[in-house]
This record gives sequence, C-alpha cells and structure tokens, in this order.
Amino acid sequence: MGVKLLLEKAHVEGIRSYEVYRREGGYRSVEKALKTMSPEAIVEEVKKSGLRGRGGAGFPAGMKWSFIAKPEGVPRHLVCNADESEPGTFKDRYLMENIPHLLIEGLIVASFALGSNDTYIYIRGEYAWIVDILEQAIGEARANGFLGKNILGSGFDCEIHVQRGAGAYICGEETALIESLEGKRGNPRIKPPFPAIQGLWMRPTVVNNVETLSAVVPIINMGGEEYAKIGVGKSTGTKLISACGNINKPGVYEIDMTISVEEFIYSDEYCGGIANGKRLKACIPGGSSVPILPANLLLKTAKGETRYMNYESLSDGGFATGTMMGSGGFIVLDEDQCVVKNTYTFARFYRHESCGQCSPCREGTGWMEKLLLRLDKGQGKSSDIDLLWDIQRKIEGNTICPLGDAAAWPVAAAIRHFRDEFEWHVTHPEEAQKRNFGLAHYADPIHVPVG
Amino acid sequence: MSEQPLLKVTIDNITIEVPAGTTILNAARKIGGEVAPPAMCYYSKLQGSGGKCRTCLVEVSKGSEKDPRPMPKLVASCRTTVMDGMEVKNITSPKVLDARAGVVEFLLINHPLDCPICDQAGECHLQDLSYEHGSEGTRFEFQKRVFKKHDLGPYIQLHMTRCILCYRCVFTADQLTNKREHGVLDRGDHAEIATFIEKNLDNDFIGNVIDVCPVGALTDKTFRFKNRVWFLKPMNAHRDCPNCSGKVTLWNRGDEVFRVTARKDEWGEVENTEDGKTAWICNTCRFDKKKTSDWVIEGPREINRHSVISQGHYAGKIGTTQPKETFTAVHDGRQPKLLMDIHSVSEVNRPNIELSLINGPAHSADFNKKND
Repeated sequence: MGVKLLLEKAHVEGIRSYEVYRREGGYRSVEKALKTMSPEAIVEEVKKSGLRGRGGAGFPAGMKWSFIAKPEGVPRHLVCNADESEPGTFKDRYLMENIPHLLIEGLIVASFALGSNDTYIYIRGEYAWIVDILEQAIGEARANGFLGKNILGSGFDCEIHVQRGAGAYICGEETALIESLEGKRGNPRIKPPFPAIQGLWMRPTVVNNVETLSAVVPIINMGGEEYAKIGVGKSTGTKLISACGNINKPGVYEIDMTISVEEFIYSDEYCGGIANGKRLKACIPGGSSVPILPANLLLKTAKGETRYMNYESLSDGGFATGTMMGSGGFIVLDEDQCVVKNTYTFARFYRHESCGQCSPCREGTGWMEKLLLRLDKGQGKSSDIDLLWDIQRKIEGNTICPLGDAAAWPVAAAIRHFRDEFEWHVTHPEEAQKRNFGLAHYADPIHVPVG
Repeated sequence: MSEQPLLKVTIDNITIEVPAGTTILNAARKIGGEVAPPAMCYYSKLQGSGGKCRTCLVEVSKGSEKDPRPMPKLVASCRTTVMDGMEVKNITSPKVLDARAGVVEFLLINHPLDCPICDQAGECHLQDLSYEHGSEGTRFEFQKRVFKKHDLGPYIQLHMTRCILCYRCVFTADQLTNKREHGVLDRGDHAEIATFIEKNLDNDFIGNVIDVCPVGALTDKTFRFKNRVWFLKPMNAHRDCPNCSGKVTLWNRGDEVFRVTARKDEWGEVENTEDGKTAWICNTCRFDKKKTSDWVIEGPREINRHSVISQGHYAGKIGTTQPKETFTAVHDGRQPKLLMDIHSVSEVNRPNIELSLINGPAHSADFNKKND
C-alpha cells in the first residue's frame, strides 16, 4: 500500500462538508502557515519539498513561486488552473468533487505565500456541478474565518473567486487562461513577458494546477524535507494518475512514484491488468499530448532497465524511446486497438481545439487530421506517412504556445513506433477496415527520418 | 534626456547598434535588404501586432554577451527584443529557411490561389513570400476550406478564404476607431474575420483595414475588378481634409483616379507624417474623392523598382532604368554574342528549308531527308 497524501481522507463519509473535513484535521496547514510562518518561509518550504507542477510540464512549483515579481503597490494574483481538458486526464475533477476543501486549503496557504488577496479558480466549463461544490466549500471556509478579511488574526485578506471557462482546451494554457479570465478571447499570449511579471490584468500572477496547490497542504503539515523523502530523485511526493482504457479498474490512483509501470498496470491495487485477458499493446502515460509507447518500451527502457512511474524514468530515452509524465492521464491500449485510429482521434481533437492564432498549428493540425482520416479509412498512400512526419516536424517548436507541440508529438510518436501499422493500412486497405493490426512488430526499431 | 545606451546585435554576420527595446525584426530592417525577415502579421504602427504568422522566425545563436547560450527554439523576431551582443541568424540558418518554407506551405494550403482575379495581386505580401520561400508544388490533396460570405457594407469586401488571420485589421479597428465591430469568430482552422450580426463596418477610419491587410482578404469595393495595380500610376497627392492628414497616394490611369490609398513605405506599412503620426486616411478621402480635381498632385510616387507596379511606367529614378549607353559601350567594346546557335543544334529549324514548300504539316523526317 503506497503513501496517500491527497486522497487519504477522500472517502470519509461527508468529507465534502466543512465540519467533517475540519474534524479530520483539515485547515491545520492554514493555521500553521498564517500563525507561525512568513510567506518567504512557505515558498522556501515548497522549494525544499521539490514539488513539481502537476499540470503537465513538471516545472518546480517553488521556483515558479519565487519568480513572481513584487513591485510596490501592485496587487499580485494566484490563479488555480482547473481547466482540465486533456483527453485521458480526470484527476483534478476527482479531487475537487470528493475533497474540495483540500484545494481551498491549499489555495489559502499559497495565496498567503504569494500575497494574493484575490485568488481565482478557473474551472472548465463542462465541470458545471463542481462549481457549486467549490462555491459551497468557499462559503463554508469564509463562514469559519478561513477566508475574507484578517484571516485568523494574521492581517491577511483573501477571497477566492470561481470562474467558469467556456469549453476550450486552449484555456488550460496559462496565458490563454489569463486572457479568458480577463474576459477576452482565449488566445495564448506571446511570451515574454511571463505571467510572473505581467499576468492577470498585467499584474504578477502565478498559475498552478489543482493538484499542485492541493499538495501544498501536506507539504506545510509535514514539512518540505519530510515530503521530499517520499518518491525518488526529483520526483517527490505523490502523484494522482487517472487510468483509463482497456484495464480492469479504471480510475484515479494516488501513487508515490516509486512503483514500476508494470506494477501499476498489472497489480490489483491499481489498474488490475488488461481487460478481457488481452495483451498490452501500447500506452500513453501522461495524457493525450505525450508520446505513445509500445509495450516493450513502456515496461523497460531502451537500456533494459525497469521503467518506473515518475518524471525521470518515464522520460528516459528522450522522445526516441521515452515519453513524459505529463498530467497523469494514463491511457492503456490493448491488442485490439488501432494506433492509426487512435492517432486520428487525437489529431481531430487538436484540430478542433487549436485557437487559430498562429499559422503552423492552425493549418497543420487540420492537414494532419485529414491525412490521418484518409490513412485510417484505407485510402492513404505510403507517401502520406512521410508527409505526416514532415508536417509534425514543421509544427513542433514553431508555435506560440505548447498546443502545437502537443498536437505534433502524438503523431510523431505513433509513426516512430508503429510505422508498420500505418504501412499496413496502406498496403491492406480492405483488411484494415475489417480487422485490427494487432500487436505491432515493435521489437525491431524501424527507421524513421530524423528531424 | 539621458543618452540611451546602444546595444550591439549581429544579424546574418552584419553588426548594427540599436537602442534598447528594439525588436530583432526592426534591427534587421535597419540593415535592410534580405536580412529583414518577412512579416505577415507584424505591423510596426499597430500595438500588440505580431507573433502570429511565424514567418519572421529567426535563430538566436547567441543570447547576449552576458548569457551566450543560444535560444532553444526559433523565436519570432517581431516580438523578441535584442540584447547586447546577441547573434541572430536569419537567411544564414538552414533551420530558419526550413521552418519558413513550412510556414509558407501552411499559409497556402487553404489559400484559394486566385491571384488572377484578386485585386491584391501585384502588391500582395503572400505572393512575395511564396515567391521567395515557397515551393513550386503543393502536397495538399484535400478540399480547401470555405466560409459563409459576410457583407461588410458598401466599401469593404471580405474574402475570408484568402485571409491568413494576421489580426492586423482587428488591431486597426481597435486602435483607430472608437468602436470595433468586427473580430475573429470561432477558433482553429475555422476561425474567421466577421461581424457577428451582419453589420456594416461604417466607422470613418475603418477603410484603413484595407491598407493593413497583407493579402486580398479585405479589398476596396470602389476599386474592385476595375484595374490591375500594375496598370496604374501611383501619384502622391494631398487635400485639405478636416478628418485626417489628407496625404494619400492616388492610383491613376490617365486622368482617372481608380483608387486612393494611404502612403506606404518599403515594408508595406503606412508612412508617418512630418509630425511623427501615422498617416492613416479617412473614408471620405479613400472612397469618395475619386476626381483628380479633388486633389493637389505632388508628383509620382517612388515604388521599389523590383515591384511589378513599377514595371513599364517610369524611366529613371522610379521604375526600370533603361541604360542609355550602347551595348558595346557597356561591355567594353565586346560585341554581343549568342552562346549557342540554335541552327547548329536543331535538326528542325534549318534556315535553308522553306516551310511553305513542304506539303502538309512539317515532320521531322522532312528535315532529315534534305539534311545535306
């Protein structure tokens, strides 16, 4: 049984209400932080904990906090990114739905550390019912003196506002989120300036993921050094993984980043193995935008070492033979799934969600979708595969925000590891419509043009 | 005013000193020529423009004197400010040229390529860009996207299929008019410039969106299909206008004024007046004053002699210069010489054969027969 920090109390009866949450030891961290610690000490503690951003990029949260500019007389803001829209990721929803006070508690501590008197939760528009849950939790926290003016006599004022998005994946990108929060069209801004200097209403802003901010609570309670002892290397603490796909037990699991990928998929404590006794074909371990890995590279790295569920181990081998931790949307594909169709589905998603601001992403995502649809339907040509590779190469790194990269990586990885399946769709167009390719011959690395 | 320190920046091995806060693109424009990256969305007169089209991507091979690390990705030169000692590669970087070719391809896959019927042809930035960085063929084998037509009123014609979503017209309406009525609707590849409720664009200065449009998406309805720009003579003219500076370029053919535009500099941007303000012009000047008698003509406008607009119109300072010397004078007394005599190579085109004497259409056999 692994360590549980976030979801430890998530299943206590009535934990959504303030009374039960408080009885179970809730809001201790607010008391500790506001009464005994200075904002700098909190930032220092988070730095010591080695907590990395749980939204996908994995940037150290303490570092991010220390970058915030502190000009005289200018208000600062903390924004909680709850615009969780990545296909395969649903951990924040689970957290907010089951134990909303944990997020509120983390937000109060983080707001105090950053000096944010107006803190925002930007929540995905589709999570309409969670808005009510959060509003109720905020109301209860305010009624009990944890929000509002002069919290716990510390002289610190804080309000938390919940703002709903309008159903755009791009608004999960921090600068697009800020634009949307300001009431504008959700186009990502061109960086620099970074939000830490000029963010919401051109004021210094920190944007953090729901899970990151919730993790602040155990860090303050147990101390940064103690938190850093959980996990391995630079992957400290616990991580929520939302597992889905062809597994026996889909759901949200809290892991301490020391277990192997194999254990995570096959042990009964977590995913419980592949459904219907099928074999594992491939896995996308961090949400739709991270590279897909075939089973052999997923369980063992290219060097033959066991792959673990943590930031370093998953990205071992770079993009050639590795992948990324991402946001923790663990999507498992069994032997019956078609990688071409799967890649097409992702490409369609990214085409639909591209903001249309910069040309490579706006035009390239649509082009890739059309090519993948053609390949999937058995009407493609073998030159289409090389063309896809060339398109993704010209999108990646040339766009304003990471959505271009996120659209390019799944296509690149699918071609890199499953090129024979793409070719089979070209050479056997009719058969490809009737049956699946099955397990790829991925044991032999296939030459792919570099770029 | 205190002396501003100048920063040294090297672009394509040419070093130039610019004040702090200058973008790489503007520094490169000071050098001029091919060193200046192409810009489809950046417009120096519009705040907040740029960064979107990605044609001006450059490689920063050395960040600055203090921090010499290169930048990991290509950067948009229009929005990246220079640092002291920065080294930038534009046309000397294969990576940049490759990325730029990619961007041109992306911009063209859904472009209708209807240049023969497009009013912008001849002064279109996308034409110039694809001429310089595009490839001759296309790899796009699907239907191009189309849009529902929007009527923007009696003056401005919108061709959404030609639009590259540079947002320049949106910034123009934002910054020049008191109430913006058009914008970008939808997102991704179905994003479009439109007014939400079929509204006329009728602000006094809204005509300037035609001038800032880099492609033929927004064109002048009073000029539509009337003439090709290269058949017209651009003349500088002015009038006493109560609304704007009144300094314009008239596009004449004979005595007839076909269209009126603002005066544009070599980067296709509206020029400044003497007092440093941008010489945007009002709708009255642009659309209503189409008689020569409305204007005081200042003289012909200088147009880059490489532009198709200058072809065949002016000799001398503007347009193609015809050398006055004889050929032998230019070539130090050497006589011109054909490198290859076609008659000595071709079996067919022999001067001693009279085609009229051959019965019926000539065939190669007819020539070989008499080949003696």
